Amino acid sequence: MRIAQDLAETIIDPAAYADETRVHDAFTKLRAETPLGIAQPAGFDPFWVVTKHADIQLIERQNELFHNGDRSATLTTIDADKAVREMMGGSPHLVRSLVQMDNPDHMNYRRLTQNWFMPQNIKKLEPRIREIAKTFIDRMAAFGGECDFAKDVALLFPLHVIMEILGVPEADEPKMLKLTQELFGAADPELNRTGEEMDKSSITVDSVADTIAEFMEYFNAITEDRRANPRDDVSSVIANGKINGEPLDHFAAMSYYIIAATAGHDTTSHTTSGGMWALCESPDQFAKLKSNLDLIPSLVDESIRWVTPVKHFMRTATDDAEVRGQKIAKGDWLMLCYPSANRDEELFDDPFTFDVARSPNKHISMGYGAHVCIGQHLARMEMRIFWEELLPRLDSIEFSGQPTRTNGNFVCGPKAMPVRYKMQ
Amino acid sequence: MSSDFKTWQCRTCGYLYDEAEGDATEGFAPGTRWADIPDDWECPLCGTAKSDFDMVEL
Repeated sequence: MRIAQDLAETIIDPAAYADETRVHDAFTKLRAETPLGIAQPAGFDPFWVVTKHADIQLIERQNELFHNGDRSATLTTIDADKAVREMMGGSPHLVRSLVQMDNPDHMNYRRLTQNWFMPQNIKKLEPRIREIAKTFIDRMAAFGGECDFAKDVALLFPLHVIMEILGVPEADEPKMLKLTQELFGAADPELNRTGEEMDKSSITVDSVADTIAEFMEYFNAITEDRRANPRDDVSSVIANGKINGEPLDHFAAMSYYIIAATAGHDTTSHTTSGGMWALCESPDQFAKLKSNLDLIPSLVDESIRWVTPVKHFMRTATDDAEVRGQKIAKGDWLMLCYPSANRDEELFDDPFTFDVARSPNKHISMGYGAHVCIGQHLARMEMRIFWEELLPRLDSIEFSGQPTRTNGNFVCGPKAMPVRYKMQ
Repeated sequence: MSSDFKTWQCRTCGYLYDEAEGDATEGFAPGTRWADIPDDWECPLCGTAKSDFDMVEL
């Protein structure tokens, strides 16, 4: 069944995600009327739009039937896909990270760093992450009661954490942030590499490829350094790692760094500022938290559900399949719409209410199945520590201007968030 | 109550099930033994089968 053209155009529109209400209205309508349907916006190949939580779980857990890498893993126009394939010798991907891999490579490459990101390993980072959090919270206090919470605090804290984990010097953090924003903010003229306005079917392949090349040049130097001087950091694991007795494929190694250096902070930043955004809009929830700090882990997961910083991934059917009673043909492309799944009325009570005590909270923001986010425990720990340090000192907070979100349909969230606050 | 509680970990995502703590959101009270968790139970974070968990020492 085809979905209505206006809804198809809305759910791919970067500006609709910046508006948020517009995209959620479209998803709500789709969940009610066409929970699984085919979209064909102008300039795109047709693709299935998967809006229900249960369907996304079903698809993600069958990672042999629904591949990540056979076609683009993110929504791409026909023209952009063609340009990428011409540039990459036929491959639909500009990078080859865990996100674009299927088995056996996915399992082999994931295993390489999996232990590093396990809860028992990252626990040893807790004291250092708490120190970093305190530094940023002290800085927030020093602003004297007004700042841009997104730009001055939430963007910078997770950036510093992941860069320290990767062993990137602090002096290079602005460069890493700029490159990340160029990549994920490619549809936003305030963040992308060219500064140009885009409509939803424009292509940005050249500028994104330039950003990736700059990342690769940077991490190539890091690789050489870590091969000569291994340290206890993730970069050393990637640089010296072996798969089947051989060093990592160079392109895949560079892609590994890029995914860690981008998704490793941007998603956490958006979730932190989005959580604060929700608290500013819901003083009752702020008061509830202040009176019961044991709710912080629950606040973290509700923020992850509420913001859903990764808006979609694509999958490709490797064989004929059936989902929600509909025939999916081999080769079909499917858009997994996480923001929709996380507002699914069938699973969540009052899904459009931000509830810091929500339990259970089986959001799907981190994905599901074999491709579930490898950094999820680190992200949760960072946010828990941040709120544990901030909330006892924060007496009140409110918007002091209009907050805004990034234009984007892939990884995005709050861009600016002027706030006024009282803190100790 | 016995103190020899064990911890089990999902091979895919690293979710930890601590018998001493249980998991309230999954409906397992503190002290629920791994053996008492239904065989068709799945990891709440990624859907991995119970059989693909390992006992770990932390």
